[in-house]
Amino acid sequence: MTANFKLDAMLEIRKFLWAELLEAKIFDEDDYYSDNIGSAIVPIIPVQQSPEMNQFLSGKKHIIYDKIGLSYEDNWLICCEQILFTVYSTDVSEINEIRNFMTDLFRRMDDSAKDVNRFESLNNKFKFHSIFIADISPTEPSEELKGFLSTDIILEAKYSRITDQTGRFL
Amino acid sequence: MLLQAASGLERLMYNKNPKGAINDSNVAQISAALYYQANVIAKLSNSKKFKNSFKKIVFTQIEKDFGNYIDAQARTKPKSFHHVYEWKKSGNKNARLFKLTSIDSEGISFKIDFEFLMSKSLVPASNSKRRHVFAAKASIMEAGMPLKIAPRHSERLVFEVDGNTVFMPKGASVTVKRPGGTSVMNQFKLQYSRFFSGELVNSSIKKSGFKELFNSESLRALRIPATIRTVKYSFSPNLIRSMADAASEKAFGASMI
Repeated sequence: MTANFKLDAMLEIRKFLWAELLEAKIFDEDDYYSDNIGSAIVPIIPVQQSPEMNQFLSGKKHIIYDKIGLSYEDNWLICCEQILFTVYSTDVSEINEIRNFMTDLFRRMDDSAKDVNRFESLNNKFKFHSIFIADISPTEPSEELKGFLSTDIILEAKYSRITDQTGRFL
Repeated sequence: MLLQAASGLERLMYNKNPKGAINDSNVAQISAALYYQANVIAKLSNSKKFKNSFKKIVFTQIEKDFGNYIDAQARTKPKSFHHVYEWKKSGNKNARLFKLTSIDSEGISFKIDFEFLMSKSLVPASNSKRRHVFAAKASIMEAGMPLKIAPRHSERLVFEVDGNTVFMPKGASVTVKRPGGTSVMNQFKLQYSRFFSGELVNSSIKKSGFKELFNSESLRALRIPATIRTVKYSFSPNLIRSMADAASEKAFGASMI
């Protein structure tokens, strides 16, 4: 059976984060409903799609993410990945709320990973070992999106993909 | 400094006719063991080969992680970081106009700095016969320095603004107050200091695998020799020093300085 190489740990974390943000009522899905698509757009957007979404997200709080790097340890079953989340909002208290929420969610290393592993929508091809906050920048006016404030949150995640007996991805 | 401190141990391990309370094989042995290890560490930290290996392992990892960090920042915030890449290649690893440099320091430590590279690509221009290279774009835009553009080969400047062609008076120059836009000034330096003053550099050092360097060869050299493990009341500092020399040389070759 060929493995699905489109699967990505970063996307699994993003899925988990969105579910948690909704549950904590920090985001309201209805605010991001798109008439064109006929459904809500998740405002946690990969950087590659950010230019297209600029108009839709105008004035709304949202998060842009990108992978900083990915490397395998000497134990090649364990992958170490860094993900950059940039939180944008016009309201400093909203940014602080998201930043503090993400800190609370992801600062606990093994326990944060356990939470992700318990997430019911997590793809069963992944097992997270540890997630922690590698860096948080101060909230400051964004040079990128005028009128917005922004902050960077960098997560470092260690995880494995489930493999077959020869170590290849399943 | 370490050797200076360790020299205080000599009288505790080499004492033919001890006076006072310290007349114990344990004290002599522990002193000898510490003296030995202090000598090994001092030798290793002065070993060119060890220093180079340490520096290479740590610097290579930091260079990789810092580059990836700036690339991600540039992809996420192209307006703020486009200046440290070739034109229209913001966040592209192969188009970086910055690099880290390392400067040797005392012992195994080293300092890291950065430098901007010269741009080699042509300045994008949709409707211009003559094309230019803005070589120092990274450093000038980062510093937010105003830029004076004057005709060099032609008698006047001709350029387009909002679809209209502007003909400047003969010999007149144009000053660009903020080349690269208002968003770029000091942005690279800001991220550089954020990377090196926060947890990211520590994470990079941990990831570098430098511990392996200490765990293998160095650890073998630091292992206390059988002569010191044998119960004795007196140890010769000269003999211990030569044993430390031999072990260090064995661990990291003969290129001791």
